[in-house]
Amino acid sequence: MNSKKAESKSNMILNFFSSVKLAITLFILLAATSIIGTVLPQGETLQFYLENFGPTYFKIIKSLQLYDTYHSWWYLSLLGLFSINLIVCTIRRLPYTLRLYQKDALDLSKDDIARRPFKRIWNIKGKADDTALHQRLRSLFEKAGGKVKFRSNVQGGELYLIEKGKWNYWGVYFIHVSILIIFVGAIFGTFTGFKGRIMLLEGETTNQVMRVDQAGNIETIPLGFSIRCNKFRVEFYPSGAPKLFQSDLSIIKDGKEVKKKSILVNDPLSYNGITFYQSTYQALPEVLVKITASNGKQELLRISAFEKTAWPGTGLMLGLIKFLPNVHGAPAARIYIGDQAGNGDALWLLKGHDKEYQAGHTTYRISLVGGGEKYMTGLQVKKDPGVWIVWLGCTMLILGFAVVFWVPHQRYWLWIGRGSSDLEIILAGQTNKNKVSFEKHFRRLEAEIENHIGDA
Amino acid sequence: MQITSSFLLSLTTFFYLGAAAVYLLYWIFRLEKVGLLATLITISGWCIETAGIALRWKESYALGYGHAPLSNLYESLIFFSWVTILVYLVVEFKTKNRVIGAFATPFACLAMAYASFSPNVQDTIQPLIPALQSNWLIAHVITCFLGYASFAVACGFGIMYLIKGDGKSGSLLSALPSKKVLDELMHQTIIFGFLWLTVGIITGAVWANQAWGTYWSWDPKETWSLITWFVYATALHARFVRGWAGKKIAYLSIIGFISVIFTYFGVNFLLSGLHSYGSS
Repeated sequence: MNSKKAESKSNMILNFFSSVKLAITLFILLAATSIIGTVLPQGETLQFYLENFGPTYFKIIKSLQLYDTYHSWWYLSLLGLFSINLIVCTIRRLPYTLRLYQKDALDLSKDDIARRPFKRIWNIKGKADDTALHQRLRSLFEKAGGKVKFRSNVQGGELYLIEKGKWNYWGVYFIHVSILIIFVGAIFGTFTGFKGRIMLLEGETTNQVMRVDQAGNIETIPLGFSIRCNKFRVEFYPSGAPKLFQSDLSIIKDGKEVKKKSILVNDPLSYNGITFYQSTYQALPEVLVKITASNGKQELLRISAFEKTAWPGTGLMLGLIKFLPNVHGAPAARIYIGDQAGNGDALWLLKGHDKEYQAGHTTYRISLVGGGEKYMTGLQVKKDPGVWIVWLGCTMLILGFAVVFWVPHQRYWLWIGRGSSDLEIILAGQTNKNKVSFEKHFRRLEAEIENHIGDA
Repeated sequence: MQITSSFLLSLTTFFYLGAAAVYLLYWIFRLEKVGLLATLITISGWCIETAGIALRWKESYALGYGHAPLSNLYESLIFFSWVTILVYLVVEFKTKNRVIGAFATPFACLAMAYASFSPNVQDTIQPLIPALQSNWLIAHVITCFLGYASFAVACGFGIMYLIKGDGKSGSLLSALPSKKVLDELMHQTIIFGFLWLTVGIITGAVWANQAWGTYWSWDPKETWSLITWFVYATALHARFVRGWAGKKIAYLSIIGFISVIFTYFGVNFLLSGLHSYGSS
């Protein structure tokens, strides 16, 4: 090796080490700073931090965006630097690894072989022409497992090679590239997808999603189709712990139901790349009233909180203000009743005690039939076209680890040379992982050859 | 008397305590028979524990809940000790060195004792809440705990490496495997644990995506598992830096395990988040 070559090589190794040092520095920095967001409450209003931590710490929290640590400029910069480190490291090492990979392990001199980390040399006097011994040594060598490669005339001898797991070299690349792929998937998903919420009463339909942006403004995103909640169900164990949250949903496009599914917490509904997850629910009071007009017209009306119910054909509007399931043994409700112009009144109804309401020339007699709860389901809505890229990266990551961990690059050499009267034998081995277990295998092979030579 | 899973699992605690003590005696007196006894106690304890876990699974069906015993802190501690002993037995079988037992079995024993005797840990079989009703529960818990248990054993190697010091005199220290072997074992168990921690984080992400629609939400448990991941990533890369092999990696294997413990307990007790059901 000439000095120029040595210099460029050492320079390369130096650069390589310096970037591993950068990687380690980043690991430590990321580990340490990640703690902040697990200790300091995240995503609160700025007012919250000012009140709880005082003006001095508030300044730090605000300028370093510690209220949203993992999306702050400096944390994202660390992740960016980490990505650059991975890319540079990968590109720099690529030619070096490629050369290692392409290197022919038979292309070694006798002295090179004798310099391997594991080796044994025998000199057997007077056996130079024992071709049977030579043959037996060769078949013993096969016990190392794998295909035997052969080259004659290596410094007057024959060189045998068994090489396994050469592609182990690429395992680390697999891992590093897969982390970059995960980042790409996450970034792609952030810019092309959205995340929002829908609250739907049983029977209600919507065609848009609500999203709260970082400034706290609510914006709506059109879905391009409609979604209806047909029914919501909640069940509890005897202990009171929740057992089941279930929403029966329908997707409606151009007035037609195109998809129907009962979703559970771990079983969402997907349509057109948008997925609906069971997230929360709310129980809203609902009452049933019987209303009789003085002209003899009669109707049973279901009145819910947060919406007005019309009695068709009369112009009467009703609403629920409050529902109390048990007032001295009977349910009671405070309802609103009025006309479309906004004239109206609030009435307390107790079951068994009817109330009257006068509108124009008509008197209405209202009685409370019963009350209960109506459910409103809370759905998490997400569109994330990048998620498949993330899963691809994750799969590659696991495969990469499997290669690195379970496929060591191992080489065994056997050189048999004939001197004037002696047979010279060199057994050598090298591995890049798990030296302890390799050494065990190597020593076993060595012992077998030793025994054999003893017998011969 | 009806044998219950609680009885078998309490019994396991004493077996592991006994095993730890006998391994310690073996380390001091180095009598092969004592070593063999320690291994036998460990294997018996592990078999009883296996039976206990299986019985608990059966009991949950009898109660009408029917789920794998991996759903709360008590069950996860039991599983942690089970995997730790399994990983240790594999290491003992491969290295033929029983002194390691004195450093590995105490972790399993402590986990069992904490599960059985701490008032913070409820040992009743509870039904699964909707968020936990998923096939990913088993995959996520098993992979995470394979990682945690490997890190416990790696921490044992780290401690051995550090107390070995220069390893000159002292018959006790000379009984420990050589530093070269310890360093290699530490590295192997860390890679093994790192692989499973990674798979555990990924299965958790897949599950979270299915349940909540986000594969990563910076919940404290997630973040701490990432912190742990960074610590072990440091340990794995440190090997490539001159002068970082050995002692520094031994320290990292201990710091890493502290981070594991915090991910496991600290987050449940000190911080709140999506994984809060793991705390009772």
